[in-house]
Amino acid sequence: MKAVITVLVVLILSALALVLPEYLPEAFVYLIGLTFLFIILAVSWDVMVGYTGQVNLGHTVFVGVGAYTAALLQTPERLQGTVLEFISTNPPILLSIILGGLIAALIGFVIGFITLRLKGYYFALVTAVLPLVFIESVYIWSDVFGGEEGFSIGLGNALADTTTGKYYVAFAIMFISVVIMLLLVKSPLGLKFRALREDQELAEAAGIDTVRYKLIAFLISSFFAGIGGAAIVHYRITAGPDLYNIPLMLLIILSTVVGGLGTIYGSVIGGFFIYLAKNWWLREVIDRISKVYHVPINDEIILYAILIVIAIFLPEGVYHGIKKKIQK
Amino acid sequence: MLDILIKIVVFGTIVSGIWALVASGFTLIFGVARILNFAHGSLFVLSAYVGITFVRLGFNPYVAFVLSLLVVGLFGVVIYRLFMAPIREHEVMVIIVSLSIALLMEQALLLSFGETGISFPSLVKGIVEIGGLPVPTKRIIALFIAIIALILLEYFINRTITGKKINAASQDMQMATLVGIEVERIFMLTMFISALLAALGGLLYSQIFAITPHVAVKSLIYAFAIVILGGLGSIRGSIIASFIVGYILMATIILLGARWSELIMLLTIIAILIVKPSGLFGVEE
Repeated sequence: MKAVITVLVVLILSALALVLPEYLPEAFVYLIGLTFLFIILAVSWDVMVGYTGQVNLGHTVFVGVGAYTAALLQTPERLQGTVLEFISTNPPILLSIILGGLIAALIGFVIGFITLRLKGYYFALVTAVLPLVFIESVYIWSDVFGGEEGFSIGLGNALADTTTGKYYVAFAIMFISVVIMLLLVKSPLGLKFRALREDQELAEAAGIDTVRYKLIAFLISSFFAGIGGAAIVHYRITAGPDLYNIPLMLLIILSTVVGGLGTIYGSVIGGFFIYLAKNWWLREVIDRISKVYHVPINDEIILYAILIVIAIFLPEGVYHGIKKKIQK
Repeated sequence: MLDILIKIVVFGTIVSGIWALVASGFTLIFGVARILNFAHGSLFVLSAYVGITFVRLGFNPYVAFVLSLLVVGLFGVVIYRLFMAPIREHEVMVIIVSLSIALLMEQALLLSFGETGISFPSLVKGIVEIGGLPVPTKRIIALFIAIIALILLEYFINRTITGKKINAASQDMQMATLVGIEVERIFMLTMFISALLAALGGLLYSQIFAITPHVAVKSLIYAFAIVILGGLGSIRGSIIASFIVGYILMATIILLGARWSELIMLLTIIAILIVKPSGLFGVEE
């Protein structure tokens, strides 16, 4: 019964998403399309953090690696003079997105292989350092990565020719990615993830190779983060260090914490509303507030403050916290 | 060649002393209360801004120095009490909250003070020559202050009754409660000392280098590298690790340029984790 309702709700929401462009101005259609791609980032973070309980603070690294991989594959002339100058073809967009995911997963494997063997906090500490290092690489090799401004991959490499077209492609990529991740965490594999989240020692005692399953979860998570990053590049036709940066990381965390860690659906809903809120009306509201009251405030401060308040009053996340209160 | 080596050793020793303060504060509150305080680097930066503000208000730099230490120390206790203590059992949330506080403070400082670097006025003037290398006296004083502070910390933790209570609370919270130690008060005191160490580091650092709000995250990364090398939770380990990391850092800056520093830090961390995952003096979790 529950499954039927879930499928029905998903179908209705999807149908709604598909007719939406008919009734909205183009700028909003563009923004909502980008929001769909952001949802992939939030859901993929949830696969690692919500299901295995390992705090990954460097998720944007995989977003950025996917993004720059796809962007450089479309602009191979930027690789001239580097060890990668043998790359010269522009692959089809779909292939470039998948390669973005694969390279991101490869980086994830290296990082995970070193840090996930260790118990305790090493994974969180190392992943927290990663975004800054990758941002630094953008500046050090700015001829390749385009430095602070990033670079354009050319209009011809967009997901589709029209905004509405891009919107539909973005929706399709999001839908397929989320369904795959959902199936993975609902499979016996996902059960093992949750086992090691609940009690790592018990899981080990039950014969689960915890390091291996943490690594698998991290691979899935970083692969889809790379897919998301690469798709974003093909959506907005620019790659830039903002995709590596910490504000994006916090936005991903906020979305998942609001929606509910370890639920997938929650990250979809949280990601949708948080990303829209940040990019649609939050800035305007804050501009007005800071003009009237002259307080040092911006949209980032508000988002961080919201996250802090949520964490203190509902430390299990909004969804789980409210669910628990209702059950009481 | 020799002059570069002298430069790395002399300046490396001085920055190492400062990072030792920051890292031992970070590892202290982790070792005692099991809190990974991602806002530790922000306390480091905040001390410089608070100090400068006092100087601009007309306070004598020495007075401003001490006032800033106290203000930041108390600020650390306040954020601990309000934002970390209530959710101490939710480890994931403590990390997320302290990271949010760090980013929020960075933005607030950017909006109030701007992106240009600030420096705390020098408490001493003059230059000393070491092996043909002119070194400003303030840097040497900074090293001395750092060493004295670290000796005091060692003494306090290992020799005083309060220090022993802190040790007890860090080893077994429940047992410590049973023998009549008010653990929550001990944690607050520990947080005060931890913030004080960050603040002292920040004030000394800002006499030598310019501080911007972005330095918060950078200093946090150096602290990470140091505590991973020294072993999470070990103060002695992090003091020794500070010097190793400090020399690596100074060599990187002098030989390759400052923009490589974070990349080299990451490679250092990864190398340590491969070779000796529990650090030099790490306690097995």
